[in-house]
Amino acid sequence: MDGWLIAMMLGGSIFLGGLALLAFLWAVKNGQFDDEEKFLNATKYDTEADLNDAVNLERKKEKLKKEYRPE
Amino acid sequence: MSNKIACSHCHLEFSEEVMIKDDEHYFCCNGCQGVFHLLSDEGYDSFYAKAGDIKLTPPTEQYEDSSNFDAPAFYDRFVKVNSDGFREVSLIIEGIHCSACVWLNEKALHNMDGIVEANINFTNNKANIVWADEVTKLSQIIDMIRAIGYNAYPYDAQIQESHANKERKDYYLRMAVAIFASMNIMWIAVAQYAGYFSGMTQNIKTILNVAEWILATPVLFYSGWIFFRGAYYGMKTKVVNMDILVATGASLTYIYSIYITLFKEGEAYFDSVSMIITFVLIGKFLEVLSKKNAADTLDIMGKHIPSEINILQNNTIVPCKLTEAKIGDIVVVKSGEKVLLDGEIVKGSGSFDESSLTGESEAIHKKIGDSVISGTVSIDADIHFRASKDFEHSTLSHLVHLLDNAMAKKPKIEQLANTLSEYFSTVILVLAVFTFIVWWLWPHSFEVAFMVGISVIVIACPCALALATPVATLVGLSIGAKRGILFKEAAQLETMAKIDTLVVDKTGTLTAGKPTVCKENIVKEFDKNLLYALTSSSKHPISQGVSKFVEEEEFKVYNFDSFIQHQALGIEAKIENTTLLGGNAKLMQMHGIEISYESEKTLFFFALNGKVVAIYELEDSIKSGAKSLVEDLQSKNIDIVMLTGDTKNAALNVAHSLGIESVLFEQSPEQKADFITTLHTQDKKVVMVGDGINDILALSSADIGIVMGSGSDIAVDVSDVILLQDSLEALKDAFKISRTTYGLVKQNLALSLVYNGITIPLAMGGYIIPLIAAISMSVSSLLVVGNSLRIKLQWKYN
Repeated sequence: MDGWLIAMMLGGSIFLGGLALLAFLWAVKNGQFDDEEKFLNATKYDTEADLNDAVNLERKKEKLKKEYRPE
Repeated sequence: MSNKIACSHCHLEFSEEVMIKDDEHYFCCNGCQGVFHLLSDEGYDSFYAKAGDIKLTPPTEQYEDSSNFDAPAFYDRFVKVNSDGFREVSLIIEGIHCSACVWLNEKALHNMDGIVEANINFTNNKANIVWADEVTKLSQIIDMIRAIGYNAYPYDAQIQESHANKERKDYYLRMAVAIFASMNIMWIAVAQYAGYFSGMTQNIKTILNVAEWILATPVLFYSGWIFFRGAYYGMKTKVVNMDILVATGASLTYIYSIYITLFKEGEAYFDSVSMIITFVLIGKFLEVLSKKNAADTLDIMGKHIPSEINILQNNTIVPCKLTEAKIGDIVVVKSGEKVLLDGEIVKGSGSFDESSLTGESEAIHKKIGDSVISGTVSIDADIHFRASKDFEHSTLSHLVHLLDNAMAKKPKIEQLANTLSEYFSTVILVLAVFTFIVWWLWPHSFEVAFMVGISVIVIACPCALALATPVATLVGLSIGAKRGILFKEAAQLETMAKIDTLVVDKTGTLTAGKPTVCKENIVKEFDKNLLYALTSSSKHPISQGVSKFVEEEEFKVYNFDSFIQHQALGIEAKIENTTLLGGNAKLMQMHGIEISYESEKTLFFFALNGKVVAIYELEDSIKSGAKSLVEDLQSKNIDIVMLTGDTKNAALNVAHSLGIESVLFEQSPEQKADFITTLHTQDKKVVMVGDGINDILALSSADIGIVMGSGSDIAVDVSDVILLQDSLEALKDAFKISRTTYGLVKQNLALSLVYNGITIPLAMGGYIIPLIAAISMSVSSLLVVGNSLRIKLQWKYN
């Protein structure tokens, strides 16, 4: 069997798995699993409006940072 | 019956005529109506769809002024400035019933100006809020939460708690990486093992090795970082700990495997590297999980001592920081408040609870000129007093200082596994070096000798050893938790199993702490309503005991014309033409009544118009199970000592009826703690069981402090084990569980050692191939876990 084929498949799957792992680590660090009840309920309630809210909050934070904490 | 209608906001049901009708909606109160309209105006009405039929608490409208929350002293204590320069506070939100409540609060807060982050934890109702103080104030945030029908109050996010959570999360991340990589390495290892037996080209082998190398690297250097750190500290303190064994074993194997991969000969051991790290890391994680958030004194100070007191300045009451109050300041104390400074009363009088100092629950009456002591609580007294000491020199601060010392000096009994792993690690490292030298001298190439030496370390991998204790204690903790026995830290199970002395408080622990009537002597028939009315109007425990005894369902209510409590004597009241007297013999004699009745027990006389009509004998009843507990422990060769602040007679009575031989009575809190320290100098391992504030010093000096669930908050904080059910049966169980668990720890350790005893000689002889090394590692760990589960199942069916 061609060694390159195995090398590519192994490399590809490790890379993809690594991406998933990184996403998981990011989520844990971000506190997404800290409150399990909320985490489960999110599937019931998450709507477009909630997503918009989250984005707006991020923007607000940036704006407040710029206004009050100029570097 | 009129039909019931649910309120549109809180969903509680009331009959139609009492409801407020508003268009199509019905409300039970103005509060609900207000919140409902606010929510619809702000566009949050989808809250009701989310909440469904869940019943909410109707909002109350009486809140203290929220502007208090903006006071600098308040900000100092509760509000932090985070790294971005925003303010951060931790709140507990009251009234959260369902996830819709969480949603509503978060939504409302998110839409407020100046709020940067608002995160509410549904499980514990704690909220973390970050805001820009230039835009909005804390009071406005709390007002908003109140406006939508909830209430919030700040709490000190304990430094300890957040620290423990951070450590847990850190372990979690490292474990995630280790498990991910190990699982993938195992797939690749399967291919390698198959190739080992059926043959495979060096080319393919190298590819597999490189893949394993890539996966093992983060395991060793990220997940395994903890072991390198531990090994560094171990070497610094000249202790050979397990971390050194793991770190050297794993890194030597790693380096060797890289060499193999690059020079394309022999077998690489990357799978062993990642497996060792993963297994031992899991063991460590289990330990971290069951570690107690040690309550440090800073916490106790913050939690139980208010940071502000009210002092009188120019006839107005102003708040002042506790530490800034000076000698001579006039301090204002209202009923129900804690006295925080020592001083002398200049205005007012009333009774005080001094149980934190004496342990006795009897209230003490104080008037102008009497001294008040910090740490005591005003029961019904509104007084002004002149401070005679500043906080630093007060009794309370002294007590905190003593507590601080006691906790710092708390003995730590070395855990069996730690002692064992030290020897184990040393022996294995020596054996490995020895094996390497022997193989090298009896002519083998360096590679072969090195590989055999490493295989000794790999096969002796302390996976099972690392798992033995945490898995066993976890089993013990869960058995205890199911029976209402909370061990705050896993290590305490082992400590408790080694105990040889039990020191127990009397009042509230062995006895119910409340005197009950054991004998009634009616001299002359009388109206029991009078006696009930008299005794029920006093809070004195003896009076309460009598009132409970004569209590019946229907009682006539009397309004006394006069009512006087004589401190330490009894009560005197007048109604129409009758004089009522209730109290001890001294009170009777004061009123010229001759008493000839005598008893060892506490007596309560009741006299009408100067004639004794009834005599009650009272005693503090012993809790059920006390006797069997004492017998059980004595049969286990545990010495029992009773410590009490109570008088000699009362103490000896209880001790005698329970069969306890050593008794110490009239003990102050400090004497109790000193006694335990004395026991320690005699090399005794002591459990202290108590319930009150007067026991906290003793509880924190003992090896294990056990507190009854109904004990005071501070006692619960400083203790190591909490008995939720307040029963002595649970105390017996606690001993039993700790001993079973310790037995299990020993079994597990023995299992893993025996296992190693068989495999290590094989490894030294060079008979171990990578496959066997890998399998043996898993099998020994499985044995230990399986054995622990066996015990768990046994308890389940008991």
